[in-house]
Amino acid sequence: MAILGDVRLLAVALRAARAPLTVALALLLVLGALLPPAGAVAMAHLVGRIQSAVPADAALSAVALPLLVFVLVLVLGHVVDTAVAPLAFLATARVDGAHRARVAGLAAAGSTIAPLEDPQVRALIRAARADPENWTEQTPGAGAVAGLRLAGNLVGVAGGCLVLARYAGWLVPALLLPALLNGVLRQRDAARGIAVWRAGTLDGARGQRWQDVATSPAEGKDIRIYGLGAWLTARIQRHALAMEAPVWALLARTIPREAGQLLLVGVPLVAGYTVVAAGGAGAPVGSDRVVAATAVLVSGVAVFQALGWTEDLRVAVAAVGCLRATVDLASRLPTPDQGGASRPAAGTGPDGAARVRRVGPPLVRFEGVSFGYPGARRPVLDRLDLEIRPGELLAVVGLNGAGKSTLIKLLAGLYEPDEGRVTADGVDIAVLGAAAWRSRLAIVFQDFVRYHLPARDNVVLGRGDHPPDPVALDAAAADAGLEPVLARLPAGWDTPLARTVAGGVDLSGGQWQQVVLARAHYAVRMGAELLVLDEPTAHLDVRTEFEVFSRLAGNRGGASVVLISHRLSTVRHADRIVLLDGGRITENGDHDELVARRGRYAELFAIQARRFATGGRG
Amino acid sequence: MTARRATGHPAPDTKPVRPYRYLLLWAELLAVSWRRAPLLTAMQFVIPAAMATAVIGGALALRVTVDAMIRGDAGGAVAGAAGAGLAGTAGIVLGALDSHTAGILIGRVAVLDLNPRVHRDITTLDGLEHLERSDFQDRLTLVRNAGWEIVLSLWSANGVLFAVLELTVMLLLLGTVNPWLLWLLVFAAVPLWFDQRGNSAIIRADLRAAAPIRRQRHLFDLATDPAAGKEIRVAGAGAELARRQAAAWDEAVRLRLRAQLVAAGWRMAGWLLFTAGFGAALVLVVHQAARGAGSAGDLVLAVTVAAALRQSVYTGVRYTTNVASAGRVIEPYLWLRDHVRAQRTRVGGSAPSPPRLRHGITLDRVGYRYPGATGPALADISVHLPAGSVVALVGEYGSGKTTLVKLLGKLYQPDTGRILVDGVPLDELETRTWRSRISATFQDFGRFPTRFAENVGVGDLPRLSDRERIAAAVREVDATALVDRLPDGLDTELDAALGGVDLSEGQWQKTALARAAMRPEPLLVLLDEPTASLDAPSEQEIFDRQMERSRRSAAGTNAVTVIVSHRFSTVTGADLILTLHHGRLVEAGSHRELVAVPGGRYATLYRIQAEAYAREGRRPTAAGAGGPEPDVHLRPN
Repeated sequence: MAILGDVRLLAVALRAARAPLTVALALLLVLGALLPPAGAVAMAHLVGRIQSAVPADAALSAVALPLLVFVLVLVLGHVVDTAVAPLAFLATARVDGAHRARVAGLAAAGSTIAPLEDPQVRALIRAARADPENWTEQTPGAGAVAGLRLAGNLVGVAGGCLVLARYAGWLVPALLLPALLNGVLRQRDAARGIAVWRAGTLDGARGQRWQDVATSPAEGKDIRIYGLGAWLTARIQRHALAMEAPVWALLARTIPREAGQLLLVGVPLVAGYTVVAAGGAGAPVGSDRVVAATAVLVSGVAVFQALGWTEDLRVAVAAVGCLRATVDLASRLPTPDQGGASRPAAGTGPDGAARVRRVGPPLVRFEGVSFGYPGARRPVLDRLDLEIRPGELLAVVGLNGAGKSTLIKLLAGLYEPDEGRVTADGVDIAVLGAAAWRSRLAIVFQDFVRYHLPARDNVVLGRGDHPPDPVALDAAAADAGLEPVLARLPAGWDTPLARTVAGGVDLSGGQWQQVVLARAHYAVRMGAELLVLDEPTAHLDVRTEFEVFSRLAGNRGGASVVLISHRLSTVRHADRIVLLDGGRITENGDHDELVARRGRYAELFAIQARRFATGGRG
Repeated sequence: MTARRATGHPAPDTKPVRPYRYLLLWAELLAVSWRRAPLLTAMQFVIPAAMATAVIGGALALRVTVDAMIRGDAGGAVAGAAGAGLAGTAGIVLGALDSHTAGILIGRVAVLDLNPRVHRDITTLDGLEHLERSDFQDRLTLVRNAGWEIVLSLWSANGVLFAVLELTVMLLLLGTVNPWLLWLLVFAAVPLWFDQRGNSAIIRADLRAAAPIRRQRHLFDLATDPAAGKEIRVAGAGAELARRQAAAWDEAVRLRLRAQLVAAGWRMAGWLLFTAGFGAALVLVVHQAARGAGSAGDLVLAVTVAAALRQSVYTGVRYTTNVASAGRVIEPYLWLRDHVRAQRTRVGGSAPSPPRLRHGITLDRVGYRYPGATGPALADISVHLPAGSVVALVGEYGSGKTTLVKLLGKLYQPDTGRILVDGVPLDELETRTWRSRISATFQDFGRFPTRFAENVGVGDLPRLSDRERIAAAVREVDATALVDRLPDGLDTELDAALGGVDLSEGQWQKTALARAAMRPEPLLVLLDEPTASLDAPSEQEIFDRQMERSRRSAAGTNAVTVIVSHRFSTVTGADLILTLHHGRLVEAGSHRELVAVPGGRYATLYRIQAEAYAREGRRPTAAGAGGPEPDVHLRPN
């Protein structure tokens, strides 16, 4: 049954809270649920004693015990309520922390990134990430604790029924059955509600994205110049309404149905109470009647309350959605064991980096490599052959969309070729293993990562599997010309590079490019032998760009460099230039050779050089 | 000449909002709710009143039942029991109605009234300051989806009111049993007060934990993002990031757990004190009942009321906490309203834009300083941009080029000097109509989470769904091949986060350029590094067409085109080149004039690139690395 599977999911999630905490919390919840029936019994006895004591004038001593018990129950009730809060918080936090670590681990596990780019996987990650953006989402921790509470409630119902059974056994089915029926009806309404709000999550996410747009300084300029304010407001509202309006309609339809509760709850409750009070239908006689009536009247309603629709149930159901998505996600992604993302430090031990360095830059070959994106009409790379020779500065040139960035991803093993293979010194990089191969690479991607962390971490994370090396750090900063940027940072290396962090600053695009160049230089200093730069200077001005390449030429040591750039004035100084066109390398040679060939490269170069050649109007 | 010293960068208002403003806000929200849904609004008062009545009535009915049974009055007992049953039923049904009606009402007022108002305020303010200043940005983040929480605060305040009312009535009821029981009022205040203290400890801890939580979220998002995943895998940073993510989570949990324990301590102390008082009260009632001065029913009443009392105190505390934590969003909300009001009165202008430029745009000693920055971004810029001309802005990064472009788009107000459009000061022109005659592509252009066609179409909103016009704009910027390659052509979704296609930087740039090509007759075209990520033929194509269009417009709107570019190949054809350095205009003239300036900035920068394309090429070497320092311009935090 589906519901058993859901319960199991919540129970498994609860394991992360660890046994002692879970047991303590469960015991407290059960105790808390049993206290109201216990209180009812104590109170009934108290009333009975007083009633029988009144004529005897025996006063307090006769009622001391039930009074004491009753006050004790009250005290325990407060203690339990109070103690549950921090324990429930801790359990929630442990479960959610473990869950988020697991989801992040799943996403980071695979050695290629193709699965992560699958829209379905991205949707699952969104559903599984347990970071609620609106009230329709709940975390596994909250769900697991809510599940515990619900279980406690059931124990409470059982306790209440025991009390009823003790004084008026016939009342148990008379109250329990309508209560169950009422519960089932309420659940059905609730299930309908859940389906409705689940249907709205995509609109919720879209509305959120448009709100991001409304408050972003980048989009803010377009919004103002093109007068999009009112349109955007309407767009956000449209998504909000698409998400919320069905929920309102459903609630409105539910309101009249709540009147049905008057019958289901009211009739048995009023009938049961009056019969007990009137002393009919098997009710006890004499002074016990008062005791029984008191006990029944105090604990009867609780049965209905505990079996009705509660917030806990909603939370648990929403959390199950998140857990199901996680299961689905896990089945679509490779398990952490297979992956190379969490590479053991340098793979084989302390000598790893040093050993790699001694080998020298590899000879890399693309041998008949084909690759196409899923769903694309034609492949990006089509039986491509390419050689990256040890120690050379190779430039890759091509039009936008020619596949230059894809080539790099294949080089790093981030995609697997559909056909052909990529080898390093004759060995297929798939055989080398992702971790070992990547430890020899340093890559500056076009969409590099901007860590909201101190400047230091932004550089040393270029080689994240080694302890930070302060000497290499300073050297890398010098290599990349980062010092002037550093000098202006309020706390130097310790300045967080995000204004959302206390004491942090935002860098401009050009400044970020310099930080990322330092990151790559750091990796080279830490042993990488093949440096790849994908459009590293698009946002730098002429002079800075020139300096960057001068430094690169001077500071790359023995490393090979692959450079992708549209600025052919820099590309021309490469040892070798290859032109990527139609999925293959169509031209190959140094600048002079390629110009002499009068091919596509020569044409591209001419376009950029023309105006300089004519000295102006061109 | 009035060189206006702007008063436009007020220090953030750090004073806490005065209580009366909360009351005014609630009164306003009540009025809005009433207009939006009078019946639902009325129910928010009727239902709590009925619920309180049910609770109190239930306790009274129990007393009646017990007393009648002891007296042997069967009719009274049955009536009392029926009353107790009805009260219990009413409690359950009313509870459900309360949450349903409140849910609809709060949702409707938030979604239909409050949130749109906030979004309109954020998106239609003239300037960018509220988006670019980090302290303002923080408030926007809080307020942009806070409608629900703000409306909820009204009904939470209402809930506090009813909880107090209910408490008072219950205590008065106890007072009828024995006046001494009125002292319980004092004991009930203790948990109320202690709970409140505990809750404020939790709210404070949540604020402190916000930083590690943000860090955790950031690292989580990186770990699950394919783009970041590339670099993290290559750098082998996955394990380290996972460790940091766990550490950030643990830090937040530690902070919050401590507060939870503190709060539990306060709560426990409060309730133990209350229970002590209540125990004493019970002894009193029992004593009285035993002496025959009271009845067993009194005892039942006292006990039932005491249990209900705890519930009311819980409810009261929960609502008070809601109100207190709503301050987190109400304060930035009130701030935004004040800010918008201040901006709207400051930025005026109602003159229409001219149909075509006759004379051009004149900058007269224009200066601008970013709020909180130490020096000006632009100072004392005086230059005339002739109608029909193409103007290139040149300079190293941080020299003020983008700032100047933004001033022309009226995205900033100059601190000093003024900008004249055909002799009319820019701040006298109506912002909306002036901008409707601008076409612009910025360096960090907008990427809208929607279809490709809409991403282009927003460039001319009235023709958002005019596919022919959009296709023409796409052709204009040499992007036809790009569209052909998209899986669903013009209808391809571009929101990668929600399953759309992830465009490359260059593809996005073409999309933004197509957007700028939508407006038919601009007076001013602003292009801020529009082709940094494009290949040479595309760049050439786009610039050639832009030049052609600018020349053509001389006969029409006579537009001014302003281009910022680092690539001199695209600059040399401009009619006027302005070289900026450290926020000052250091050179102005045509390419021929400027290259002829000995030792000039433009000439130097030009030569660096020209040599790079010359037959021999200037070869970058390690020795060449010691050039002048690049400008470093940090945005203030």
